[in-house]
Amino acid sequence: MKIVGLETIIFGVEDVASCATFLTDYGLFPVNVTETGGRFEALDGTAVVLAHASDKSIPASIGNGCMMRKTVMGVADTATIQAITEELSKDREVRQLADGSIESTDDSGFVIGFQVTTRKELNLAGEISNVPGSPFQRPVNHRAVQLEAGPIRPRTLSHIVYFVPDPVKAEAFYVERLGFRCTDRFEGAGPFLQPAGTLDHHTHFLIGAPPFMQGVEHFTFHFGGPTEVMQNGYQFIEKGYQAFWGPGRHIMGSNWFWYFNSPFACHIEMDADMDLHDQNWSPRAFPMGADNSQAFLLRYRSKWSPGKDTPHNGDYE
Amino acid sequence: MMLTENDVVLCHVDDLKEGDTKGFLENEAGQDLLFVVKFNDEFYGWRNACPHVNNAPMAWRKDAYMDAKKQHVACHAHGALFEPGSGLCIQGPCLGKTLEKVPVYVNSIGMVSILLTDIN
Repeated sequence: MKIVGLETIIFGVEDVASCATFLTDYGLFPVNVTETGGRFEALDGTAVVLAHASDKSIPASIGNGCMMRKTVMGVADTATIQAITEELSKDREVRQLADGSIESTDDSGFVIGFQVTTRKELNLAGEISNVPGSPFQRPVNHRAVQLEAGPIRPRTLSHIVYFVPDPVKAEAFYVERLGFRCTDRFEGAGPFLQPAGTLDHHTHFLIGAPPFMQGVEHFTFHFGGPTEVMQNGYQFIEKGYQAFWGPGRHIMGSNWFWYFNSPFACHIEMDADMDLHDQNWSPRAFPMGADNSQAFLLRYRSKWSPGKDTPHNGDYE
Repeated sequence: MMLTENDVVLCHVDDLKEGDTKGFLENEAGQDLLFVVKFNDEFYGWRNACPHVNNAPMAWRKDAYMDAKKQHVACHAHGALFEPGSGLCIQGPCLGKTLEKVPVYVNSIGMVSILLTDIN
């Protein structure tokens, strides 16, 4: 099944205005946003959609304070919509929505949707490093750092991470019913999952957790490279937002990461440069833990050099 | 009440509206050591450290520690909710655990303070 990735994630929130400010400051484009909600798009049109928590037009909350109401996946064509409809109709309701998409429920109880993707094809170079001896270099006189170049924009929805009460059952649904592959695994936690229509290391990651925790750990968009993650994250902190973990680089998937708290009852990440894998890739398994999660972690320093204000004892931190 | 070197004055009672929170003693990453919440006209102080994982910061934006309904202190990592007065987690990954209290004192002219010895 040619599922190409996440298309939209829908949240039902009490404070639409604050959430709208948060997503706009993250870098997303507000589209048709009113006091009752709207879309917040990345460069390719994939989006977070906000609605008020009381809005009856979005699926009900699963409880536990989870604000994520629906995860919509983009598929390559109507044949894939048809194939998913036939497959899921074997044991559950599949609703046909007016916009041509379908809606159902996964084996953990999360509402899922599928639509023919409307993502725009991007033709924008990512971050290129000048590396001695490399055939790929930035053009001469192109600066890597352009602080004056306006807001940094997320490129596309990257992945979502669910807390699920039964990770084996949850994984089986995505693998056996929807054609996802496990690309890597945290033992005792859960799998990184890749649908058949993308080479991204993962669009979904599942973490086993008690039923009272079922919900979302985080979601994230891909950015153009590590510099965009660092610069955008730094600007986000300058606006008062609160980092949780990062910036750093993961081992599984190799993506750069920076995690922040959010008003969505889950973390939000900024990520870049995730590995691509095909059927020749053999999944790895690591024990769950920080040592297997971060290749390195960077630390901010407010003062980095002694100077004219340096005291006699030489302290400059 | 006489202030001593052990007193750290945070704010005045009128600086916060009912249901507001405010953080103090910010580190270089922009994160507060503690925050106070004004709830039912009382002041409560809590460490900015969700018990779901070591020292996890709780606000989603500077000073924003309450849920949207302003009924509970929230950890904006995973949406855990805490009673503003007792610090008890009533929903979320740290269900049943309690925030670490920082005793708050309000003097006769409405200055809100903590003791240095309570945070070191």
